[in-house]
Amino acid sequence: MNLEFRLRQVWTIARLELRRVFFSKRSFWVYLLALFPTVIFVGHAIDVKIQERRSAGDRAVSAALIDSITKGDTADEITARLGPPARDFEWKSGRRGERGRRHMVYSDGKRRADLDFEANILASKHVHTFVDFDESRTIFAGVFDYFYLRLAIFFGCLGIFMNLFRGEMLDKTLHFWFLAPARREVLLAGKYLAGLVAAVIIFGGGAMLAFAAMLWPHDPAEIKAYLQGPGLGHAISYAGAAALGCLGYGSVFLASGLLLRNPIIPAVVLLLWEGINGFLPEILQKLSVIYYVQALCPVPPPTDPNMPALLKLLISPPTPPSVWLAVLGLLGVTALVLWAASRAVKRLEINYGTD
Amino acid sequence: MSVPEIIFDEVSKFYGEVLGVNRVSLRIPPGITSLVGPNGSGKTTLMNLMTGLVHPDRGRITVRGLSPRDPEQMMRVTGYATQYDAAPRGTTGFDFVSTGLLVYGYKPAEARERAWTALERVSLTDAAQRKVAAYSKGMRQRVRLAQALAHDPEVLVLDEPLNGLDPLVRAETIALFREYAAQGRHVILSSHVLQEVDVISDQVILIANGMILAEGEIRSVRDEIQEHPSQFLIRCRDASSVASMLFSQDHITQIKLADDRLGLLVMTRNREEFSKALTQIALGGHSIESVIAADENVDALYEYLIGGGR
Repeated sequence: MNLEFRLRQVWTIARLELRRVFFSKRSFWVYLLALFPTVIFVGHAIDVKIQERRSAGDRAVSAALIDSITKGDTADEITARLGPPARDFEWKSGRRGERGRRHMVYSDGKRRADLDFEANILASKHVHTFVDFDESRTIFAGVFDYFYLRLAIFFGCLGIFMNLFRGEMLDKTLHFWFLAPARREVLLAGKYLAGLVAAVIIFGGGAMLAFAAMLWPHDPAEIKAYLQGPGLGHAISYAGAAALGCLGYGSVFLASGLLLRNPIIPAVVLLLWEGINGFLPEILQKLSVIYYVQALCPVPPPTDPNMPALLKLLISPPTPPSVWLAVLGLLGVTALVLWAASRAVKRLEINYGTD
Repeated sequence: MSVPEIIFDEVSKFYGEVLGVNRVSLRIPPGITSLVGPNGSGKTTLMNLMTGLVHPDRGRITVRGLSPRDPEQMMRVTGYATQYDAAPRGTTGFDFVSTGLLVYGYKPAEARERAWTALERVSLTDAAQRKVAAYSKGMRQRVRLAQALAHDPEVLVLDEPLNGLDPLVRAETIALFREYAAQGRHVILSSHVLQEVDVISDQVILIANGMILAEGEIRSVRDEIQEHPSQFLIRCRDASSVASMLFSQDHITQIKLADDRLGLLVMTRNREEFSKALTQIALGGHSIESVIAADENVDALYEYLIGGGR
């Protein structure tokens, strides 16, 4: 049996397993996890579109007129210049209503101007776009880091890769594979490849869909400029980070499924390990997946300026590795874990609890 | 050239503190070999050890010179129809057989052709495209058999292969086993249907509590067990006087007279001495119409060796 034959076997096993991984009832919640941010971003995009359409109606004013509003203008002067506002709220306080407050909203179709009046004089003017490109990118970076990497890919890989062996043990079907004329390492590689392809398509695809949904409500010219600039690179980086996350977590959960009966234990241990990564000595930080994958994210996730320093340390590695070091490091960690898994699968016995 | 054998050399297997098999040494030649024993005796463990599904804690196993720890080589010449009823989710009978063949390295067209041939051999082509989960017990038995023999193995290992089969398919299946054995291949099967084992086996291995009680051809196994009495049915006109003459012999342990008083069931510890005594009785003028060995079948051995031990 030469290497080419074994590689063909790996691919055959992976192809046979892919159908099971994609269409298993156990995988259903994995799709929900992967697509949840897309649903949120699409919902937000629809809301922005509705707001834009509403404000672009017959009460829209020119951008120059909005810019001409200055503090100290009276409400009457502004309405005389700009016409009636899109929204107008008025409150009166005091016994005779002598202390009046007013809030008016104007829009040029892309921006919204919120004007606050006190005693009929403009006290504050706040102009903002319906959707801010930089803000959207930062939000996406946060969603990718906190949701995809730390939650969806972690638990999704737990569901997919744990089931590759443990699920078949529970279904009493693992002997089907063990009776094939293939080395156990070949079987492991085939199953891992199937899980990896499925996880990358589900989570890489999910992240890309969310990325597209994030871009959708923005001005086409802005999107074009972004994609011609760093945008495409960002998309590739996110997809690559998702794929490497699946690669790393997948190998860990595949090995856990072979070594342990209860998936909760390794999941909790790994979740804690990945969570306290920032506190660990540098050498131990390198033995986690999040350390490498975070380094591949092109936009840093947003942090609350009032966040305690301890929490800040937890969510971002103090000394992120370079991209190449991150990729090579993760491949190294994965190879190490898969080697341990191959040792375990060679010892694995079929014992469904009879005779 | 030496005969290819399946060899167990001082093999022990424990599941934690539970004994699977203990210090089993066997040499199984080609032909049909039946593993006989009650539930939990270690039959399936022996089969799983033979095919590498479990590994021995002690001892060594070779199957036609190959180690079960090397599935790449060994499963190429071995087919195992397990007792495990489940097939991968959503699999049709045809998929179940053909997907296995793809891993063997057959091209898809050849895998399909071989799968159809195997399904034909077990008369399951009509239901080939139905899901295995919807199969009856007998159909599942047949599809497992089809999968085990689809790659034309030298060693066919079958756990309770005749369970749930209707008489016609059962006869066809037995014929198939005989055909395989006649080609110098190994057919190892376990069964509780002892009459069938008796009829189809070239040799039996009696196992109880994880230990081999006896092995070999049914007759020779029976001969090996000198301490257990043999039973003979004697038909004669003066059964009472024949019984009294036999009862004086030391080796006779029990005699039962038939209700019609024209026959008796004799149990002896020494077949040769019994044969001599019977000759003397016949020469003495007593008419002996027939003598039939009543226990030269697996049922009797089973009862003596296993039932007696319970």
